[in-house]
Amino acid sequence: MPDWQEFVRRRLYGLALEAGEKDEVHEELAAHLEESYEALQKEGLPEKDATHRTLAQVANWRDLQRKISIARRRGHLMQKRMHQLWIPGFLTLTLSMVFLMWLQKFGSRPRIVWSGSIAILFYVPWLLSLPFFGALGAYLSTRAGGSRGAALFSSAFPVLALTTAFLLMFPIGMIIEWVTGNRVDYVHFSFVATALLKEGIGWLVVPGAALLAGGLLVQLFFSHQSLPQNPVIG
Amino acid sequence: MIGSGIKRGTAELAVLSVLQDAPLHGYELARRIEQQTNGALRFTLAALYPMLYRMEQQRWIRGTWETSANGRRRRCYRLTPAGKKKLSPLQREWAELFRALQRLTKVAHA
Repeated sequence: MPDWQEFVRRRLYGLALEAGEKDEVHEELAAHLEESYEALQKEGLPEKDATHRTLAQVANWRDLQRKISIARRRGHLMQKRMHQLWIPGFLTLTLSMVFLMWLQKFGSRPRIVWSGSIAILFYVPWLLSLPFFGALGAYLSTRAGGSRGAALFSSAFPVLALTTAFLLMFPIGMIIEWVTGNRVDYVHFSFVATALLKEGIGWLVVPGAALLAGGLLVQLFFSHQSLPQNPVIG
Repeated sequence: MIGSGIKRGTAELAVLSVLQDAPLHGYELARRIEQQTNGALRFTLAALYPMLYRMEQQRWIRGTWETSANGRRRRCYRLTPAGKKKLSPLQREWAELFRALQRLTKVAHA
């Protein structure tokens, strides 16, 4: 009887899966071929014909290899992205925003720093908390096997979300103005430029640096611990 | 010519329907489908496993390794609650399609 395990292993040598998973696929397909072969022999087919008909089940091994890789990796990739990017990122965003709302509710006032005629607002307690939230995002991502990029993305996610919202605010304002026909003064370029500078520093640049500082500290810590990294994501 | 969407739909329906009765490993699953459809539906290894893996990723079925009485290790697939949920509307849709086609062909032959 042919060695089906070895046969499948050779045919699917390029299967793009992790070692353990690849072995499972090899074993499962080999078992299928073995049973097909035995059933054909029981029907009375000679060894050569039984082998030939068993092998006829796969016309193109390379195509099968590609299909199996796609089928098994699709779910993994989505699951990994979820655990390495989106869950840590959204958790960091939610916690940091809830903490900010809590500070505002209990009367914490922003510190105003003047840069020429521009007033920049800073919530100092919030800024001080951000390295911890950033560190938490990076820790969760790294623990799930995320790469350095994925961990830093997770820690800086609140600022990335705010940047997106911030950048969308003005085009949306212009579209509303265009659709309704009402002129909205704050869409003037000078206003937009001032707002970008003022809000950008207070809400994006400094918080982003604080979040990333936490994320980088976690990265530094784990680089000494040498946790497993996954280069697929990030 | 039958489109790939329809082919995939019938294949998934066949697998889910057979697994509804009992958990089975790949070879046995293919054999049951062939037997129960009098040979009208046949799954080769090349067609079966990519589909099983895809359905497993969608969490409609779950595969676990089991050792049989003769000491052979086989990966047995069973229907998950999500798979059961998927099966009922799929059965209804296909029944509706077949009824519609039946009505259509009767009219055509009249």
